[in-house]
Amino acid sequence: MPTITIFKQDLEGLLGGPGEARQSITIEQLEESLMLVKGELKGQNPDSGELRIELQDSNRPDLWCCEGIARQIRVKRLGSLAPYKFLTAKPKVLKRLNVAPGMEKVRPFVAACTAIGYRVTQEGLAQLIQTQEKLAEMFGRKRKTVSIGIYRLAAIEFPVAYDLVKPDEVSFTPLGMDTVMTLGEMLLVHPKGLEFGGILAGQDRLPVLRDAKQQPLSFPPIINSREVGEVKVGDEALFVEVTGTDLPMVVLTLNIFAANLADRGAAIEPIDVRYPYNTSLGKAVVTPQDLKKSQKLPVSTIEQALGQTLGAKEVAKALTAYGYEVKTSGQHVTVTLPPYRQDLMHAMDVVEDVAISRGYADFLPVMPSDFTVGGLSRIEEVSDRVRALMVGMGFQEIISNILGSPQDLRDAMRLEGTEWGQLVEVDNVMSQNFSALRQWMLPSLLRVEAASNRAFYPHRLFEAGEVAKLDLTQPLGSRTVMVLGGMIAHADAHFSEVHSCLDTLFYYVNQTYSLEPIQHPSFLAGRVGAIVSEGKQIGVIGELHPEVLERWQISVPAVAFEIELTHLAERP
Amino acid sequence: MDISSLIDSLHPLEVKVLSTFGTDPSVVLPTEQLAQTSGLEPSQLSMAVEWLLAKSLLTVDTETVTPIVSLTKIGELYFEQYAPIERVLSAARDAATTGKRLTIQDIQAREGLEPAEVSGAIGRLKKEGALLIVQGGCLESTGRPSQTAEAIRGLLQQLHGTTRELQAFPEAHRQVIQDHAVKRGNAKEPFRIDDRVARSLKLSAAGIEAAQQLSKQGVLEEVSQLTPELLKDGSWRTKRFRKYTISLRAPRIAPGKKHPYREFLDTVKTKLVSMGFQEMRGPLVETEFWNMDALFMPQFHPARDIHDVYFVKEPKQAASIAEPFLSRVAQAHQDGGSTGSTGWNYSFDMERARRLVLRSQGTAVSAHTLAAQPAVPGKYFSIARCFRYDQVDATHATDFFQVEGIVLGEDINFRTLLGLLNLFAREVAQAKEVKFLPAYFPFTEPSVELHVRHPKLGWMELGGAGLFRSEVTLPLGVTVPVIAWGLGLDRMAMVALGIHDIRELFTDSLDLIRSTKGAF
Repeated sequence: MPTITIFKQDLEGLLGGPGEARQSITIEQLEESLMLVKGELKGQNPDSGELRIELQDSNRPDLWCCEGIARQIRVKRLGSLAPYKFLTAKPKVLKRLNVAPGMEKVRPFVAACTAIGYRVTQEGLAQLIQTQEKLAEMFGRKRKTVSIGIYRLAAIEFPVAYDLVKPDEVSFTPLGMDTVMTLGEMLLVHPKGLEFGGILAGQDRLPVLRDAKQQPLSFPPIINSREVGEVKVGDEALFVEVTGTDLPMVVLTLNIFAANLADRGAAIEPIDVRYPYNTSLGKAVVTPQDLKKSQKLPVSTIEQALGQTLGAKEVAKALTAYGYEVKTSGQHVTVTLPPYRQDLMHAMDVVEDVAISRGYADFLPVMPSDFTVGGLSRIEEVSDRVRALMVGMGFQEIISNILGSPQDLRDAMRLEGTEWGQLVEVDNVMSQNFSALRQWMLPSLLRVEAASNRAFYPHRLFEAGEVAKLDLTQPLGSRTVMVLGGMIAHADAHFSEVHSCLDTLFYYVNQTYSLEPIQHPSFLAGRVGAIVSEGKQIGVIGELHPEVLERWQISVPAVAFEIELTHLAERP
Repeated sequence: MDISSLIDSLHPLEVKVLSTFGTDPSVVLPTEQLAQTSGLEPSQLSMAVEWLLAKSLLTVDTETVTPIVSLTKIGELYFEQYAPIERVLSAARDAATTGKRLTIQDIQAREGLEPAEVSGAIGRLKKEGALLIVQGGCLESTGRPSQTAEAIRGLLQQLHGTTRELQAFPEAHRQVIQDHAVKRGNAKEPFRIDDRVARSLKLSAAGIEAAQQLSKQGVLEEVSQLTPELLKDGSWRTKRFRKYTISLRAPRIAPGKKHPYREFLDTVKTKLVSMGFQEMRGPLVETEFWNMDALFMPQFHPARDIHDVYFVKEPKQAASIAEPFLSRVAQAHQDGGSTGSTGWNYSFDMERARRLVLRSQGTAVSAHTLAAQPAVPGKYFSIARCFRYDQVDATHATDFFQVEGIVLGEDINFRTLLGLLNLFAREVAQAKEVKFLPAYFPFTEPSVELHVRHPKLGWMELGGAGLFRSEVTLPLGVTVPVIAWGLGLDRMAMVALGIHDIRELFTDSLDLIRSTKGAF
């Protein structure tokens, strides 16, 4: 979900379309129109006209820029998309870009075009750079599948070559540096080389774009040359290239840039890319190229999904006003995405666009009429029952994080190296404090006790909640168990006090139990027992070991019990 | 204060003293007699008398002051070890018998006396002619007795361990006592004179009225506590129960109580059940398969990397993923399989599907339900603990509840989806105004964001929903349309609980938990 910055005056210029008068838009109108692009206005500066907009749809990279937002609104206002001429009318002689053999193993695809006649403005340049960054970062998966370069056309002589060279074979001054360096050196010292060099890891030959004079343009996907790869305000002729590993994505990205520049008034001239190997679009691929992603579907599919009868004509009207090309034949429509989109995987994607184009407010909500019986799971019922009993016995309920630290969950409980101390731990730890799932409840209760020595006594705490018990015999390597933990802490707290509570609890859940002496490092020896019910150990009760209290810096005695509610829930 | 509320406020001791006087206005009682008659301890009596005087129920009839003499600590010491005047005189007499010269310094050193004590004694002995100071500052006994020294010796003996009235001594001794009594600025003296005040007390006009009223009520004794004994023998009838000052602050107690956030979630739970939703549950540890793959999130999706999801350290993978779901989902990702989709067009990694993660979204629970032959029509919900790889701050928690669910049915479509959201808005947020905005979730199409005008918060996002994509439902064996919905309730909960920091939902402060009222 990218958030982008655009300028209101730039947006208004684009709303008119190329060669047309600017169209003003109020903030209220804009917020309303942002529904068309799944956008939300996150902030604005009325003085500079700066707007910050969050775009939700990760499958619509064409919308992550001022041109794209303006285009979607413009198309809706006009009722259809004016076709991009550069996709159909091609000059007789096309500029060439030649791909070197072996590139299929490195970064196989490239698409490029030129854009002439748009004088780059401050705002336009900011958009070009932002779009380049957002597309490469989020759509291009951090430049791995797609990266983009923009150059000053005047300095370039065609044909351009997409070559493979040894790391020390070519050198130039990269953007952001003052010295000439080889491609290999760029990977080692340039910030972008360090950030994105991993994409080319293991390659002994590296991609480079060079013009007919052997002048390096860039080292894709790392960095442009400072000589020709730094576009400035006032430039009127640009060369745009996209390289990557997925041909449809590469072409789509170039299409978006071409449409954006055309919307700003540039004349786009396609480039003929020649491959020494076969691609899904052949060996000669002219870009930009309309991939015409299309689908034929019954109108009834759309109507059923929306719950509304519309008819083929209304469907066609809505989709056309959203940028589609639509052909109707009887009760079917054949819909084709505009050249800057490829996000049509399923008929339902079309359904949503019909709804968005008509506006969600156009659909009257209807209550689902099916009768269903509500209810809680058995374990939740048991949990609610024991929670009520604990409250009745004067216990304050707490809620805790399930993620904790091994120090609290195991070490402070004196459980290192014991069966009770086994944890489900996190692999990618961000903070030690949140690096393991709690395997029992008592540390959660102790955490509150440790932070509450100023709260007046006695303290009676409980929590009913989930814990994860490591169990390698289980398919997931662990079991999620609902447990109840209760604790009493005050100057005279002792075993029989908490024992009475446990006893009462079992009485009212209509179960029997017995206590069997065990050794448990968290409790004082001789004052701890396993809670056994129907032959199963389902919990533990005892006086907390003084060393445990000391580790938690608790200065009053504490007695506690814990039982697995899951066992109680399983009984009739 | 009128007389009856004055009576109500009386302490049992005060009542006792008043009733000792009876109702006869002429009765005058000296304090000793009052003590005898009432049977009160001297300290209790003097407390009660002072209270009654302050309330003007008693007045002092006569007051006599008697000076009483006693020994100070120094006096008792002099009784044991002789007074300085005796010791100086005796030293001088010894010197006279042995013919030794005796200086003031010698006496000081020999007797261990203070210079002031020695010079005071010498001055008085000289005046009485019992001592001479001769050439060279030497002391010489004249052989004559010292009346003062003798008087002091006699007085020390008479007063040792006892007291006497000053007037009981002859005039000459009274003078000696007064000269050697503790005064301001001179604490080191053997005698002290205290004034003993003897009072006779009688009832004031108000006191008589009070006493009459008390005797009229027939109350003999005031008690502070009703006891089983009083009830058993019926004697409570003759007792008066002291009234309490009920405006005092009540002592604090800590009741047993639900956690306020849990109480909020319980309310939500109850509402969902009342709307016909069945609860579903799932494990805290999930596979990437159920957490993401089954929800048609491609394996290259940015929200799936190590900066968004917690991965489990050991074991790293689940033993297996149930078929036919694994193959069908893999197919849907790759080319759509039989879902009518083109799929994501990449090679699905079966190993990665088994990777264990901490559940990152409640939708994983819904995915399990879809695969477990859910009822059609059916409504399901879960309040599931989820984990996100997030820096913890005032608005982000690593560990939180998600309220999510699904609705299955032949009649499910975009408009019934909106209808359901309307119901949530009304029932859960008490909102009358709603807005539906287009939204994006990887697993739904169309997708909706529900915005409501909350009575307190104004416009806010209450939840997200949509119709599950066929790429989600068909591989899991569900052929009817399914609504997937989720509610974002944390902000509402925080407002209900009056907190501004999401971390306080799970606070470890018992004081805070005890003091939070909750809003329901």
